Amino acid sequence: MIFQLLVGNLTHGLLLGGVYGVATMGLSLIFGVINVVNVGHGQFIMVGAFVALTMFTALGLSPVIAIPVALVLGMALGFFFFYTVMRRLIKAPELTSLLATFAMGILLEEIAKLIFGADFRGYNWAVGKITLPITTIPMSKVYAFVGSIVIALFLYFWFSKTRLGTAMRAVIEDNEGARVCGVNVGWIYALSFAIGIGLTVMSGVLLTMFIPVGINPYMGGRYTLKAFVIAVLGGLTSPYGAFFAGLIFGLIENGAYTLFAQIPGVAPFPLTVSLAFWMLFFLLLVKPTGLLGK
Amino acid sequence: MKKNYLRVLIFMTIFGLLFAANAFAAPPSKLVIGHPACLSGKYAKAGEQAIGGVKACIDWVNNVYGGILVGGKRVPLEYKYYDCESKKEGVTSLIERLITVDKVNVVFSAYSSGLTLAGAPVAERYSMLYMDHGGASDRIFQQGFQYIVQTIGPGSKYHVGTLSMIDHFDPEAKKVALAYEDSEFARMTMGGAEKHAKKLGKKIVFKRTYPKGVTDLTPLLSDMKARKPDIVVGGGHYEDGQLFARQMSDLDINVKALSLVASATLPAYYKALGGGIAEGVMGPSHWEYGVTFSPDGAMKVGLDWIGPGQDEFVSLFKKALGKDMIPDYHAAEAGAQVLAYVKAVENIGSVDQFKVRAALGKLKFMSFYGGWDVDDTGMQIGHSMVDMQWQNGKRVIVWPLEAATGNLIYPKPKF
Repeated sequence: MIFQLLVGNLTHGLLLGGVYGVATMGLSLIFGVINVVNVGHGQFIMVGAFVALTMFTALGLSPVIAIPVALVLGMALGFFFFYTVMRRLIKAPELTSLLATFAMGILLEEIAKLIFGADFRGYNWAVGKITLPITTIPMSKVYAFVGSIVIALFLYFWFSKTRLGTAMRAVIEDNEGARVCGVNVGWIYALSFAIGIGLTVMSGVLLTMFIPVGINPYMGGRYTLKAFVIAVLGGLTSPYGAFFAGLIFGLIENGAYTLFAQIPGVAPFPLTVSLAFWMLFFLLLVKPTGLLGK
Repeated sequence: MKKNYLRVLIFMTIFGLLFAANAFAAPPSKLVIGHPACLSGKYAKAGEQAIGGVKACIDWVNNVYGGILVGGKRVPLEYKYYDCESKKEGVTSLIERLITVDKVNVVFSAYSSGLTLAGAPVAERYSMLYMDHGGASDRIFQQGFQYIVQTIGPGSKYHVGTLSMIDHFDPEAKKVALAYEDSEFARMTMGGAEKHAKKLGKKIVFKRTYPKGVTDLTPLLSDMKARKPDIVVGGGHYEDGQLFARQMSDLDINVKALSLVASATLPAYYKALGGGIAEGVMGPSHWEYGVTFSPDGAMKVGLDWIGPGQDEFVSLFKKALGKDMIPDYHAAEAGAQVLAYVKAVENIGSVDQFKVRAALGKLKFMSFYGGWDVDDTGMQIGHSMVDMQWQNGKRVIVWPLEAATGNLIYPKPKF
């Protein structure tokens, strides 16, 4: 029974890990290119969750359709915040940009509260379930995972096969060198920030496909913390690293519970949460640049 | 000797003047209820209900009842509240502000046991009457606080009715699973449920907690599924209660009865989850629309009655919030608390904190919310709970049988 439970939970963990991965790629991309830690990261996830909720409840549209909408909206928000706030802060002390992204997060929370209220909302996208001998998996989770893989692959090809993607990688490696080679670094900064935010907002839709309840303006904070852990685990400047670290994090979160639950007199949930942080601590000691960081 | 007489005379004069000042003090022009309310954050839903309930009953006291009778004069009630954002630090600083800046006459606690407990020492420091309509943990009343009085029932009793009801309809349903939030309130509630389940001869096949703010219950629920329970009793608050039922449905965990505390009873619960998931889910409730408390009923059991009837309360509640929404028990208990304060003040004709607290200790009455009586620690002992179940999008009272507005759907429909 334990084996069955473990495999079942690891399956759910892998699916959730894919979503965590995409949810963290934006954070890593923004840090990699413009060296800004987006403390308001979770609030952009919240925006994506509300995009999915609104499209489903008000327009009756599937969350799958909400994915590109969230990307476009997220990129628009990214460009807006970049040209109004972040552009002036790229060379500013780190604390300034931290405070600015924190303020952006608060602003988004309050706007969401103004529009939607503080209720915990949810939607019910019933697209069936797969019943396996080890567990039951709702198809919405499978779609969320497939969506995450597609997005990660798309980003991989975009980074490695397109001129803009190559320019972005060049800026991550050495922005002065990229400038000398004729890369419009200012535009790359803006585009990277917009894509980073777009990815993050899009991941909010994927998260609601996985967990379509508890949507409220203040839901972002808990995802910010997870995203930071995953980003450090993957290597802060590496979006691919973030994706793989997301998968690992999801597996640990779900798999460890089953093992800890076998220890008599132990509450497995708090131990599961702390395990991820212990792993991070260990990794920082052994490989401070993270799994795929340089 | 002469000096001594003089001292006694001065002392008696001062004492006499103070006594006279107190005895003949003009009654206050108004009485103010202070409230660190949960307008935002995780308890916003219950907080909104509480505000609506307080406003509705204040409206009734001021405009129907004619105000509170203090010192031979009827004075109105006022309501001063701020948003504590469902946070402990907000509660403590706001209670201090309400007492020292706004000079309120009584403080109503914020929603939840944790927030109520956080605010109690502050109220106690200022010897301020602290009325608890949202903190059900028994532990609040084991700290020796002098100024706290409870309107909501104690947490340990929440699932007593639920389990008795299932035992009544299906004594063969023996396997109970307890899965709940690791919070003050839920621990107390589930402790009571475990004790009662054992008393009924049930077997606890699963007992686990999950942390506050949890985003995924899949591993815990998978574990629970493997134990094949007949009855699942769980939850903690609204947010995790939604997640709980949703993920039980995702994992196809079908049980005979599912009762979730402090979430399933909220009107928004069904809307957030949809009928396929929420149908048949139960919850213990301090009050539901449809209960039949009335002045006649109060008379039969020898209790005084005060306050609006059920329908009048509902209409005042809707007016207070400006929404066409049926109140739930969070509103009713907060409203009943206003009535308890009014009764206590009128019984002694004073607003002195210590005296009002003592009067509340002796108070027994009935309102639309039901009975009201507290023990020596201030814990509510006069109010009994009901159990509700979602049936076709409506909350139906299913237990106790004498208060039921419909029949229990058992076993619970499959997800």
